[in-house]
Amino acid sequence: MSVLDRPYEDVWSPRRARIVAVALALVFVVIVGRSAWVVFNSPVRADSGGAVAEVAVRRADIVDREGQLLVTTLQGWSLAADPSAIWDVREVVDGLKTVFPTINTKQITDLLSDKKRRFVWIRRGVSERERKSVKDLGVEALRFVEEPQRVYPNGSLAGHLLGYTNVDGDGLEGIEKIFDERLKQGGEPLRLTIDASVQFVLEEELQGALAQFDMQGATGMVIDVHTGAVRAIASWPFSDPRKRGVEPAAAKTNRALNVRMELGSIYKPLTVAAALEAGELKATDRFNVSAPVKIGSTTVRDPHPLPNASSVTASDIIIHSSNIGSSLIAQRIGPEKLKAFLGNVGLLGGMTIKGPQTASPLTPSEWDQTAMATVAFGHGISVSPLSFAMTYTPFATGGELVTPVFLEPIDPATIQHKRVMSKETADLVLAMLRRTVVEGSGKLAEAPGYEVAGKTGTAEKPTPDGYDPNRNITSFAAIFPASRPQFVVLVVLDEAQPRTGVVRTASVTAAMIAGKVIARAAPLLDVHPVTSTVEAASLRTTEGTP
Amino acid sequence: MNRLVMIGGLVVVAGLAVAVYRAKLGAEETQGRVDGLKGEVAKTEKDIAVMRAEEAYLTRPERIGPLARDRLGLEPASPDQYTASEALKQRLGEERLTLPAPEAVAPAQTPASPAQQ
Repeated sequence: MSVLDRPYEDVWSPRRARIVAVALALVFVVIVGRSAWVVFNSPVRADSGGAVAEVAVRRADIVDREGQLLVTTLQGWSLAADPSAIWDVREVVDGLKTVFPTINTKQITDLLSDKKRRFVWIRRGVSERERKSVKDLGVEALRFVEEPQRVYPNGSLAGHLLGYTNVDGDGLEGIEKIFDERLKQGGEPLRLTIDASVQFVLEEELQGALAQFDMQGATGMVIDVHTGAVRAIASWPFSDPRKRGVEPAAAKTNRALNVRMELGSIYKPLTVAAALEAGELKATDRFNVSAPVKIGSTTVRDPHPLPNASSVTASDIIIHSSNIGSSLIAQRIGPEKLKAFLGNVGLLGGMTIKGPQTASPLTPSEWDQTAMATVAFGHGISVSPLSFAMTYTPFATGGELVTPVFLEPIDPATIQHKRVMSKETADLVLAMLRRTVVEGSGKLAEAPGYEVAGKTGTAEKPTPDGYDPNRNITSFAAIFPASRPQFVVLVVLDEAQPRTGVVRTASVTAAMIAGKVIARAAPLLDVHPVTSTVEAASLRTTEGTP
Repeated sequence: MNRLVMIGGLVVVAGLAVAVYRAKLGAEETQGRVDGLKGEVAKTEKDIAVMRAEEAYLTRPERIGPLARDRLGLEPASPDQYTASEALKQRLGEERLTLPAPEAVAPAQTPASPAQQ
């Protein structure tokens, strides 16, 4: 007789049956409860695959104002090795040497000889070709690790500004360093104010200057006067971010931001504006600049005599770039007022920039008559080219100084405007600058249709033994178009020596480069050329000088 | 009766255990599909990033400028190629004025026949 055939009471007592029933019921409740918990409360797995995790921490791209990709992150390969699995270190090193000729043989040999280690990096960031060549070596102990790598599709374009990261993706220079935290968060690309096309034009013209001049360095920039947006900024020799700082010192130096320079006569319009604002100068006032003048302990001379030098206006002083005239104008307002004006336009420091910082200025230790006389024509004061370029924005905006901006989008409410001169002063100086290009030292800067207004600057370079007459910084600061100013352009050449001829003043060096940049960049910046009729009318209304 | 209840209960519990097991398997399978899709998304995003980098490389001004000039004969616009829209309208208007209206076109003059001479 089987258990099932026996009477129930014989097999299961009611009490046992109840215990089993309760136990089963508990199991049932537990299963149902657990099922419900799984359905409603089970946490979503945070780690749902390596590939997804990689995307989550992908460093953000950097793009130009139009969305053109400047920097991105791609998955690349790095080469590693397991020293404990290598039998013949020398054979492996010799093989690696055929793929990476510049490899440090001793260093790699030491690394691979350490049998206690299971993992060592051989090279971070290898190309596909190198990867294939290493695979062809057939060394089992060598393996590739996929990891993110920063890629710069435009090569050295805007290299100084963009900067670079180390192999671990930490920003070390430029935008990569300044906005490192933001970039590490990933997400939307970081959009710069730079326009890649204008940047290219600027860099090509600076590079092209080499065909005509032997020079030590150059820098240039294009700035929107209404927003402060930096549309292009370059320093030659260019820096290639792909080299991660392994470059000659000259290429590492960002002359636009980090070098202080005495920029010479491009200061003269500031001196004139300071005097006009102080009420110590009128457009019709006349000066005698026919002979050198002694101010303080310095004697100021003009390298070339001016036409009608015994009676010239402030306009003539700008147009023909008279050092004597500029010093005489400064003498009217005195060193303190000149200092205050230059401080007001940001040349004595204190300008707040959300982005790359500029070198702090080097200013006279004592603002006496001598300092005033030389600063009036751009000597004895050294600032970064970007700091100086911003001082021309008031001439273009009717008197308001703007701060450089590097990031888009630009909220109109956050643009920093600071009134530093009256509209009358700004318009008057702008007209002088336009005449400087039409009939003065800046003729080579003219870009037909774009009404270039600007000023040349030629400054001898300071040395421990005084100024060297054979080594110049030549510069041209420009505004265009003069009848409705939209952009400031600054070009500075370091020791530009024409390959033919002997003249090396800014009128034939920096002015010409600035003109070429404007002629090519203006259409890219949607600046429509103006007719000569419009320009003539504009000049008539703004020109206050006889 | 009690025996039937007991057997029924065992069957229900067994059925529930199977159901939970299958649900778990299904969830894992679904999770696997989700992971697979996420992997595909990641791969696609990676491919897009590569293609964007390639696009940026191929469209860099340094390359496009010479191509546009040499292959297409394009040059940057010169200032004399610009004109105000008003001037354009005026110019178009003038040209229309100089064009003969269709109805005003005079019939072609045929050479006089010798008979008419």
